[in-house]
Amino acid sequence: MDIAYYPGCSLKASSALYDVQSRRVFEGLGIYLKEIPDWNCCGATSAGKVDDFLAMAMPARNLGIAEATGLAEMVIPCSACYSRTLVAQNRLEKDPVLKDTINAELSRKVGGGIKVSSILEVLLTAVASGDVAKSIRVDKKTLKGFKPACYYGCLQTRFPEAVPVPDDVENPQGMEKVLKALGIQALDWSYKTDCCGASAAVTDADASDALMARIMKDAVARGANCFVVTCPMCQLNLDAYQDRLGPKHGIRERLPVYFITEILGLAMGMGVEELQIDRHLTDATTLLKELELI
Amino acid sequence: MTVPAHAYDPEAARSLIVEVSERSGQNLLACYQCRRCAAGCPVGEETGYVTPDRLIRMIALGDRQAALENELVWRCVSCYTCGTRCPNDIQTARITETLKKMAKEAHLEPLRPKIADFHSAFLESGVRWGRANEMEFMGIYEVKGALRSMKKKDFKSIAEELKTQADLGLSMFKRKRMHMGLQVSAGRKEIQRLQKKASQKKR
Repeated sequence: MDIAYYPGCSLKASSALYDVQSRRVFEGLGIYLKEIPDWNCCGATSAGKVDDFLAMAMPARNLGIAEATGLAEMVIPCSACYSRTLVAQNRLEKDPVLKDTINAELSRKVGGGIKVSSILEVLLTAVASGDVAKSIRVDKKTLKGFKPACYYGCLQTRFPEAVPVPDDVENPQGMEKVLKALGIQALDWSYKTDCCGASAAVTDADASDALMARIMKDAVARGANCFVVTCPMCQLNLDAYQDRLGPKHGIRERLPVYFITEILGLAMGMGVEELQIDRHLTDATTLLKELELI
Repeated sequence: MTVPAHAYDPEAARSLIVEVSERSGQNLLACYQCRRCAAGCPVGEETGYVTPDRLIRMIALGDRQAALENELVWRCVSCYTCGTRCPNDIQTARITETLKKMAKEAHLEPLRPKIADFHSAFLESGVRWGRANEMEFMGIYEVKGALRSMKKKDFKSIAEELKTQADLGLSMFKRKRMHMGLQVSAGRKEIQRLQKKASQKKR
């Protein structure tokens, strides 16, 4: 099956590993990601704070390009890109004047209709069809050693406007369901949709360190041996700043922060280098050795 | 609140609440001060006495200055928790986002200049190239911050900032998490034309 694919800027830079893994893992599930041509930045959360018009116009152009591919669905792994694109699509549908204003300058016009999906929505379809279970190539016992705290962050389930939300807002279960198909029991915990601070990790370090410390402390207290995430911003923050916030907040433990595609890839028998797990900033391979996955 | 009751100006209050409501798309009048937003705000500890419900109250009372210059407007992380839980569907993060823009238009010095610098550097990079280039916008963000500190002769914070960013940069470089090439989208011309048209219309 072919599906349109919007990687977004971070999957072409600091989180390039997520782009590589997504392609590999989806291919293993018989889903082929077709990157839409000449896509642009979605504006992320910054656009809404600086320029409301651009916050609509930037994702609108990508929607036009995606519709022109003729594919019925577009997957967006990055939570911020997913959120911005879904919100823009929703608003343009309700506001024909705005849609016409933007379409006037676009070579690929927005009509409406393409389904914008998060990575979890696509993976859950593959879980339901049995394709995920069928793709497992390693001994299922080794996977049972993962004790993950599934961390969703903000933009996977909470939106600034009323859009159809694919999962429970306060207690989403998408990642847990995907992991269950691999025989992994995720932990129950309280901070799965709390905020990591996003760009505040750079601009307001004390505030974001306090947020991440709460997330870390609960995960550790529940006995987690890793985080599993879908958002590249959450991944980078939790991955990069454990050594900064740990000493400040009395946290000695360090937890690897895996993308869901890394767990899936490992279950499919892919290696650390193939999945680029060696690009993590907090050690992510020791646990895999302990579980005898590598 | 900073406006005493005897100083209440109904006309000023009306114009402020109408402006914020229209621009943010939120019905501020629906707030009945249940404070569910305040209970769930993750940055509540950082924003002093200003909680989402109190920000709405400031606007209703017409205290323009307090509404534009407070910690919540600048330190709100746009996590949308308050709005998701609000029984009246008021998305306060859209209000803080609107007030940031209004503060800029009023030429006020942002209370948290680093936060303002970051978002404009990010968006400008996205529009300039069609794609946000991490190395470029982070560089511009750092230079803006250093210039601000230099004006205040605050060399200590320049040195601290340099060290923090150099440490992070080095570990990211080692793990191949830094991308050196420039990402460009040819379609940026379409976005730039739209931006130009929209700003002409505003004037």
